[in-house]
Amino acid sequence: MPHLLIHRSTITLPCLTAHSTQSFCRLDSVGLRRPPPYRVITTTTCGGSINGVNRAIICMANPRRVKMVAKQIRRELSDMLLTDKVLQYAVLPEAALGADRYLSSLTTISDVEVSADLQVVKVYVSVFGDERGKEVALAGLKSKAKYVRGELGKRMKLRLTPEVRFLEDESLERGSRVIAILDKIKDENKKKATNDESGEFADGSNDDMEWEGDDIDDEGIIYVK
Amino acid sequence: MAKAIPRTGSRRNVRIGSRKSARRIPKGVIHVQASFNNTIVTVTDVRGQVISWSSAGTCGFKGTRRGTPFAAQTAAANAIRTVVDQGMQRAEVMIKGPGLGRDAALRAIRRSGILLTFVRDVTPMPHNGCRPPKKRRV
Repeated sequence: MPHLLIHRSTITLPCLTAHSTQSFCRLDSVGLRRPPPYRVITTTTCGGSINGVNRAIICMANPRRVKMVAKQIRRELSDMLLTDKVLQYAVLPEAALGADRYLSSLTTISDVEVSADLQVVKVYVSVFGDERGKEVALAGLKSKAKYVRGELGKRMKLRLTPEVRFLEDESLERGSRVIAILDKIKDENKKKATNDESGEFADGSNDDMEWEGDDIDDEGIIYVK
Repeated sequence: MAKAIPRTGSRRNVRIGSRKSARRIPKGVIHVQASFNNTIVTVTDVRGQVISWSSAGTCGFKGTRRGTPFAAQTAAANAIRTVVDQGMQRAEVMIKGPGLGRDAALRAIRRSGILLTFVRDVTPMPHNGCRPPKKRRV
């Protein structure tokens, strides 16, 4: 990976609680001015004996690079959803029958999270449509996870193509629900205000109490998951 | 949905339609172009003549915030506001491009009370035509 070598000066190593101090001393003694961007983590078996150690080399990439890779994966996956026939048929089965011009559900990739070592990618998918469309789309995507991983490897030049996991993203829907409730409250308040203006002013305090009551009730609705 | 082709030499007849008077259009088409950095929402009539448009940039968002779903839904709400007063009840939605604006704008349109008849995806798909830009290296 050329980038790992070039960015040697900007790498910040995360602090782990592994027994890696020994490895640091050894590497420094070799003569490198800065330790390479990986740590050798030694773990002992439950007996505590040194004989049964397992070593694992873990590559931690630059956080800026992680963000760039996440953005690129997002572009590639969105492009795949738009152009690739296999994925489209998986998400929307009626497209295979030819009914692809008028959609019953719309799938969008809202977010991509990449782990720090670029090995696991969590893709958050938001589906617009009814309940059945959501289930079908998510199930179709999950069944094509291996295919997506292969396609991603063909399109992007990465040393190790990450494992792709699809997750449902409810945040857009939740936000839409919250805004709908807020709009409803605003309309109700406006209606009450116009009613007050046209009617008498004696009910000012009552309306305040009602508004507080409405807000508390609606807050309960908003925070229900 | 073929537009009438104007005859050459008679350009004075092309724009004789109503300019600023509010036409009552019960049915329209909403085009949503959702790129990664911005979302543009255009409301037209069935023939394709633009009635009103709005985008995340014109709604006051600048820079990276234009690409967020919240910006997309404010743009959609803004574009629809003028049209709802004109009495549009049904609309067909045409979605173009990847991006978060697809979902967010659709939800905003549904929330506003306009009946969605159809949702279509009209992302331009070449049958292997122009050469795409070079691959970005990460």
